Amino acid sequence: MNTDIIFTDKTNAPSSVEQKTTCPYCGVGCGVTATVENNTIVSVKGDVEHPSNLGRLCVKGSSLSETVSTEGRVLAPRVHGKEVSWDEATSKVAEHFSKTIKEHGPDSVAFYLSGQLLTEDYYVANKLMKGFIGSGNVDTNSRLCMASASTAHKRAFGEDVVPGCYEDFDHADVIFMVGSNAAYAHPIIYQRIVKAKENNPNLKVVVLDPRETATTKDADLHIQLKPGTDGYYYNGLLSFLENNDLINQTYVADHCLGFEDALKTAQAQVATVEAAAMACDVSPEDLLASYELFGRNSKVITVFSQGINQSSSGVDKGNAILNCHLATGKIGYEGAGPFSITGQPNAMGGREVGGLASQIAAHLHFEDPAEIDLVKRFWNAPNMAQKQGLKAVDMFNAIDSGKIKAVWIMATNPVVSMPDADFVKQALEKCPMVVVSECYENADTLACADVVLPATTWGEKQGSVTNSQRTISIQVPMLKAPGSAKNDWDIISTVARKMGFDEAFNYQHPHEIFIEHAQLSGFENISIEESVNRSPDDTRIHRAFDISGLVDLSFEEYHQFTPIQWPINVATPNGVKRLFSQGGFATKTGKANLIPILAKLPKIAPTEHQVILNTGRARDQWHTMTRTGRVPKLMTHLSEPYIEIHPTDAERFKLADKQLAQVNNRGASLFGRVTVSEKQRIGEVFVPIHWNDSFSASARVSALVNPITDDLCGQPEFKHSPVTLAPFNALWSGYLVSVDSKAMTTAYWTKSTIASGVKYQLADQTAIPDNQEFIQSMYPDINDWVVLKDDKSETLRVAGFLDNVLVCFFVASTDLSQQYSTQYIESQFGKIHKKGNRFKLLAALDSDRSFDVGAIVCSCFQVGEKTIKQAIESGECKSAEDLGRKLKCGTNCGSCIPELKSMF
Amino acid sequence: MQSSHSSSLPLKTSLIIVGNGMATGRLLDEILSRTPDKFNITVVGKEPFGSYNRIMLSAVLAGDTTVEGIIQKTPQWYKDNNIEFISDTLVTDIDRENQIITLCANNAENEKTQLTYDELIFATGSRSAKIPAKNQNIRGIFNFRDIKDTEKIQSFAQSAKNNNHIETDVYEEKRAVVVGGGLLGLEAAYGLAISGVNVTLIHRNKWLLNRQLDRVAGTMLQKIMAEKNIKFVLGCEVARFDNLTNASGEKILCGVELTNGTYLETSMAVIATGITPNKELGNNAQLEVNRAIVVNDYMLTSDPHISAVGECCEHRNATFGLVDPIWVQCKTLAERLCFDNEHAFKNSPVPTKLKVSGVQLFSAGVVESSDDTQSFVVTDENASVYRKIIVKDDVIVGVVLFGDVSSGMAYFDMMQSNQKVIHAMPELLLGHEFMPEDNNEKSEAA
Ligand SMILES: Cc1cc2nc3c(=O)[nH]c(=O)nc-3n(C[C@H](O)[C@H](O)[C@H](O)COP(=O)(O)OP(=O)(O)OC[C@H]3O[C@@H](n4cnc5c(N)ncnc54)[C@H](O)[C@@H]3O)c2cc1C
Ligand code: SF4
Repeated sequence: MNTDIIFTDKTNAPSSVEQKTTCPYCGVGCGVTATVENNTIVSVKGDVEHPSNLGRLCVKGSSLSETVSTEGRVLAPRVHGKEVSWDEATSKVAEHFSKTIKEHGPDSVAFYLSGQLLTEDYYVANKLMKGFIGSGNVDTNSRLCMASASTAHKRAFGEDVVPGCYEDFDHADVIFMVGSNAAYAHPIIYQRIVKAKENNPNLKVVVLDPRETATTKDADLHIQLKPGTDGYYYNGLLSFLENNDLINQTYVADHCLGFEDALKTAQAQVATVEAAAMACDVSPEDLLASYELFGRNSKVITVFSQGINQSSSGVDKGNAILNCHLATGKIGYEGAGPFSITGQPNAMGGREVGGLASQIAAHLHFEDPAEIDLVKRFWNAPNMAQKQGLKAVDMFNAIDSGKIKAVWIMATNPVVSMPDADFVKQALEKCPMVVVSECYENADTLACADVVLPATTWGEKQGSVTNSQRTISIQVPMLKAPGSAKNDWDIISTVARKMGFDEAFNYQHPHEIFIEHAQLSGFENISIEESVNRSPDDTRIHRAFDISGLVDLSFEEYHQFTPIQWPINVATPNGVKRLFSQGGFATKTGKANLIPILAKLPKIAPTEHQVILNTGRARDQWHTMTRTGRVPKLMTHLSEPYIEIHPTDAERFKLADKQLAQVNNRGASLFGRVTVSEKQRIGEVFVPIHWNDSFSASARVSALVNPITDDLCGQPEFKHSPVTLAPFNALWSGYLVSVDSKAMTTAYWTKSTIASGVKYQLADQTAIPDNQEFIQSMYPDINDWVVLKDDKSETLRVAGFLDNVLVCFFVASTDLSQQYSTQYIESQFGKIHKKGNRFKLLAALDSDRSFDVGAIVCSCFQVGEKTIKQAIESGECKSAEDLGRKLKCGTNCGSCIPELKSMF
Repeated sequence: MQSSHSSSLPLKTSLIIVGNGMATGRLLDEILSRTPDKFNITVVGKEPFGSYNRIMLSAVLAGDTTVEGIIQKTPQWYKDNNIEFISDTLVTDIDRENQIITLCANNAENEKTQLTYDELIFATGSRSAKIPAKNQNIRGIFNFRDIKDTEKIQSFAQSAKNNNHIETDVYEEKRAVVVGGGLLGLEAAYGLAISGVNVTLIHRNKWLLNRQLDRVAGTMLQKIMAEKNIKFVLGCEVARFDNLTNASGEKILCGVELTNGTYLETSMAVIATGITPNKELGNNAQLEVNRAIVVNDYMLTSDPHISAVGECCEHRNATFGLVDPIWVQCKTLAERLCFDNEHAFKNSPVPTKLKVSGVQLFSAGVVESSDDTQSFVVTDENASVYRKIIVKDDVIVGVVLFGDVSSGMAYFDMMQSNQKVIHAMPELLLGHEFMPEDNNEKSEAA
């Protein structure tokens, strides 16, 4: 069977075709119905039948049809910058890897993968490294967000399993959201919670977050705890539960181990509510109220994500949460359970195949030789790895020190996303062989690559993904891949064959890989009851992750895959919504482990001249922007990197609102625009993670993050780096709107994609440049310019025309307080402006005032602040719902609703 | 000796106006509209026409209108308004003590007449300034001041046209030089060029209209004028006119030698380097005279019965070359003569406009920036648009607009009223509509 056949079928289709697939943007994993015409996705809508989103899509998902573009794609393989054939490129990789392994051993090579890869891609890469090259050196960027939760699950449940499902949100009485700005990061889940609240006014939402966020706006209770003190909070909770007789003694006795130890440790550290309040720096009343809500309700969910995971004691924090759920038995039934939410679309899928250095495959681990042997036998592996490989941070250290001499990076951008990213860049620059499989040319990591392999992306490739609630769904190919881009599984298999592993990698279609993956999950897999009672010489091993029920899936069924929640086997052929309601944990004893937790503060404490850098997501942007950075609609919400800071700190560091500032650490600096906000805790600043070298000068927040990791899982501490702050001291600021991208030389710049091209926000610490030298020389083809300037060099505006069409527009002013609206100018791009009074364009403000709708609040419908304010002031709209009816804002993805509400 | 209108109403004050140019035309209107019957008015004019619109001579030369088309007051008009009109006649002398003037008709040099006056008004205007070049007493050198000059230039150009278009086989291109790159020179050169004459304009300064434009705008103007078939030699003057002598022994212009050594063949030269006020009568009558006849704020000379208006007068060290302030002078004078009202004349800057079709140009106030000013400039080179506003202490002190003169008058008003503008810069430069509406800081006036 051949993938091309499928493409042919699709592209020969007479008119438009509707195709069900899965959104690739986040761990919610929403089902999408796409309409395809002439090799273009013309529109997308939410799949009403998909259990994850029931027809809804957030703004990122809704703009999928706009992110899919062949513009800026990597089109052909390159070796040292020279375009070569696929044959040459893959031979080069195979030969180099083989040679390196031969000379320096299997641990001298590594794969660095991504939660954006599909399960089948992951499976093949993992199999190659762990079974055939013989090293554990496969890690993924999921390490950056999920390793803590994964390890915490493993410690408590014996396996990395999320017990609940999204439906539980509809039934809960209390939802705790811990370190999760779901309103921005997981909008569809957040909307589901908001909806549940509407349906059930008694539902209480408690948010634990050091910052005020869009998520805290709708919360009944916001516990604004001191950064990094979540562990103290949960130890306090466990003590509180014990003190108030709220422990589920039966559940603990029947299904748990280690309760006494865990309780003792918790009590020794945080015995009372007062002690907890002190440790977390919050009012005892609020704290008590939240403890009461947890303890006295039965249907309690704790949603936790990055805020917990990205910490040097993230595993412990995760277990502290799990301890409380286990101790009260709030797990495994409708409306209850701990719920870790993944950031990446297929982080779960990656963990299922074993894409982390600490796992082998199919939820099997290196600790038990029997597990290693099981996989070896299944794969018929000649060089089975025997021990864990290097985890992300260690992997890049090993690259730096020369221990790893060849690395293959797939579908991720570590030069941007890794902590201490400048170091990562240097390390890669030193590495003798860096292979990068990538879709987009603007990925910064390409600059470090010796071999570049063009990969397919969403909409072109086929494969499965698993979302945060264990639902497996499929992504389907709808479009022809641009240039000679190939699917990742295909690229890896080709290289594997060239390395001499023909038999094991002779895949023709992801369907075959998926079946093999399903077979492995069921290979010698026994039920937990059997496992608990098995004889010592029985080599069979229980895994909750079992999708052996799918081994007979036909090609057609695979293509029309119906979303389903694992485990799927003979006992549960239709999947399982909730696990562990009757215990049956995946441990040797079948019982869950409570873990004694000694809560720890972040490893490095700030000095008096420092503040703590916290990082996270802004709404509408996704990861490092290689994809969403291309969609004009998504860039309007916040088109610049920003530094959110409390007024007191702003004063202390002499920073003014809306001015540029720099955050310094480790010799690296990040530039961003100051947002002074009471929402921020004193002593802490927040910076979004998305900007990279393609979109901004020095805005890679990860360059500032200390490479400190959780000892237990190697996950970096992203949320807590002491940094210093200083004003940027710009001499001028301004912007450039241009039909195409330009190399920027100003100290500060941020690029955003707009409908007519790109827009740069600019600032520099030297005088306003000469228009000839700075702007006009960037456009050698243009010789039709309109220039406005003054002889005191306080202002410069330049418009460039090609055949009377506006193609470039630059504004600079020494008046830094100047606020620009570029909406009118953007609307004038591509239009003909006859010579005459076209100089009036340089007014640059909003000469046609109707264009100026203010800062965009609703990204889906492009509704601006001014328009909304007008509607409110006119008295026409008295609620967010009214606004939705009149202006449509907030009626699609709903992620702007908190903002809309706050405008009343 | 005869007294004007002695036979009719002797009680009326007799008012004599010397000169019948644009100031006189306007002054008559001002007086008649106030007190139609107060004065016995006599107008003595050197030119053989009623008052005409001198400004339009450029248009006449460019062929846009005719001499008849610019006459504003015909002899009949004077009659109808009971004004004695003595044309083609020069006033040659004034006897202040006895309040008598002496006239001499142009065609009868020895027949002098005398008139007595109660009030005498000088409105003698000015004449073209002389240039220092050698050998100027030859045929083919013209001024551009009055109808007679214009007709001469025109008939020359006409013959050029005929040469070029009718007698094609004996083609002989007519060449002319215009000396002076000010408004007048440019309009003259343009008028000649569109008549088909091969014109070269010689200008002393590095760029055209150097008093009204900066270098950029001056250079843009040159580019546009060059497109209208005018050639330029800038940065030098005429050193000497060259002549040949024809069969009848007449010396006829055949070329000019420039201070930079260049020699240009030409059969005509128009001198338009500036104007010299006609102040000689005042000199002779021993009135206070400086560059022109000195007047006070009420247009009165040093003699309580003699006034002066227009280009022949000097007010607070300023002389005049454009009509706008002259209109104000006429009002001031009429108020005083008719009603004894003292409305002081205030001289204010006048924006410059050039009457060449296809050339948009506006200039007011200072042209060049200095250390204590800030100038904002927008340039659209391919569209030949250039706009500059010079701001000092928050207010506009100079405007140069080229190619697109929109909002020029609005800027001029802001400048005159000392309106604060710096907060509206640089957008204001693009059009006065960009002035913020809620601008309460209006005119703290000087
Ligand atoms: C070609 C041309 C274009 C112009 N374009 C403009 C323009 O665009 N805008 C603008 O504002 N201005 C323009 N001017 C200037 C304007 O025409 C003068 O400022 C205006 O005519 C001055 O008026 P006046 O009455 O003071 O002098 P004049 O109009 O010169 O009138 C004086 C009259 O007095 C006569 N006279 C002189 N001495 C005697 C005497 N002893 N006895 C009797 N009569 C005498 C003269 O022959 C003349 O007819 C232009 C001038 C010229 C020549
Ligand atoms: S929440 Fe948005 S980004 Fe995440 S999967 Fe759903 S539609 Fe995609």
